[in-house]
Amino acid sequence: MEPKLESSAVAIRGRGLGRRFGRRWALAHVDLEVARGEAVLIAGSNGSGKSTLLQLVAGLYQPTHGSVEVLGRPSHEQRRTVRRSLSLLAHDSYLYASLNARETVKLWAGLVGRPRSDAELAALLEEVDLADPSLGAVAGFSAGMRKRLSLLRVRLEEPQIVLLDEPFSALDSAGRLMVESWIRELRAAGRTLLIASHSIERSARLCDRGVVLDQGQIIWRGPASALAKRKMEPR
Amino acid sequence: MSLASRELPSVAATMAPPRSPADTPAGAISGPSWLNNLRAMLAKELLLEWRNLSRLGSVALFGAVTLVLFSFVAPPQAGARRMATAGFLVLALLLSSTLSLSESFRKETHHRALTGLLLVPVAPSAIFIAKAFANFFQLVLLAPVLIPVALVLFSVDLTATSGVSYPLLQLLAVWALASAGLAAPGTLYAAMTSDLRGRDVVLPLLFFPLVVPVLLAAVKATALVLSGDAMGQLGSWNLLLLIFAVVHGTLGTVLFGYAVEES
Repeated sequence: MEPKLESSAVAIRGRGLGRRFGRRWALAHVDLEVARGEAVLIAGSNGSGKSTLLQLVAGLYQPTHGSVEVLGRPSHEQRRTVRRSLSLLAHDSYLYASLNARETVKLWAGLVGRPRSDAELAALLEEVDLADPSLGAVAGFSAGMRKRLSLLRVRLEEPQIVLLDEPFSALDSAGRLMVESWIRELRAAGRTLLIASHSIERSARLCDRGVVLDQGQIIWRGPASALAKRKMEPR
Repeated sequence: MSLASRELPSVAATMAPPRSPADTPAGAISGPSWLNNLRAMLAKELLLEWRNLSRLGSVALFGAVTLVLFSFVAPPQAGARRMATAGFLVLALLLSSTLSLSESFRKETHHRALTGLLLVPVAPSAIFIAKAFANFFQLVLLAPVLIPVALVLFSVDLTATSGVSYPLLQLLAVWALASAGLAAPGTLYAAMTSDLRGRDVVLPLLFFPLVVPVLLAAVKATALVLSGDAMGQLGSWNLLLLIFAVVHGTLGTVLFGYAVEES
């Protein structure tokens, strides 16, 4: 058991959290607390419940049992309010296939209420190497390009809490370095991070604590540095 | 310049203070206004429609082919043919609308773009209104294609209509009201079925029984425009279409969030 945190210090709190899809429990009896400004790595094999946990925190699913609170508010019941404070980078890119990168960023900037000038949009796209207009619509993007554009969406949302589901997947080495640098910046700015990743060594360097999920249950928790050294047992 | 060699601007320097409900009074919802959401959603819908104009062409072609098929079973007598034209025209609109409605949510489920909007979070009511407006707009744009095709195929002369002033304008008004009556509930039902495997079958099964009042009122109003409105009933049927559209538009605005979010 991890020590209880003061309520005001808690960014994310899951109590007895469980979620069932049909007959299969994707997550069961998970207790997790993440302090404000803390970065927690969630490790585990495929199907262990990492993505489900992040989506429960984002209020996309209702817990089958237990509860999850974000900054003291139940994440599903008050999802609109909670979502203003967090951003989720998921496996799905949440992009429109017919729009190009510039149109996509302009749309997101408008939606979060922070419209950008053309020069600012160009600078943002330059950062993720998607400024070239000849790249065309998102429909023609590779998985890595879609990931970089999705990362830009998370940056535009400027959240208090950042949920990253496999942030390094599909990216080339330059892209992975970019994400690593961005996560360091987020940490320096005091943001709370929950990162689900198979890139244990790389992610552990960026996090304070780690938990390992197996078949929907937490089977290990401890310092992220210890997680990097721990041999991941196959299920 | 490679990504690896590029220094990202400092988050602290580029980011505004983070968004957090803890920074606002309990229960208060901060962030972009509802109108801002609606404006962005309308702009997005129009841009996506512009990008997919060929799809609208396909729907119009489908409607025209439907009318051609109906023309083979149209009665030969002029009077009966005028009455049948009203029914065939409205049926062509209804059948075209199911194609158009089903397709309108395909782009939202691809890459789960709709979930991305809900995560921002964009107000579900703003998403619904923009989507319903885009669907309405598409159905209205079918009029310049399907109405002339029907008039030619069924040999209907609008200038010979008695008791109706400006019959073409009246016909367009009925078309627009019927389109609104189909787009409002159709958008909600298309959203509800968008994640289903058999959505192309399920949508008409749910949608057709619901819009029977639209079908009846639109056929009656169209028949009055084509055959003459001696008793002055056209206004009443148009009012019925308007009320149906407003009621279902309001219901859709309220219920859309429940339709697209897990409750």
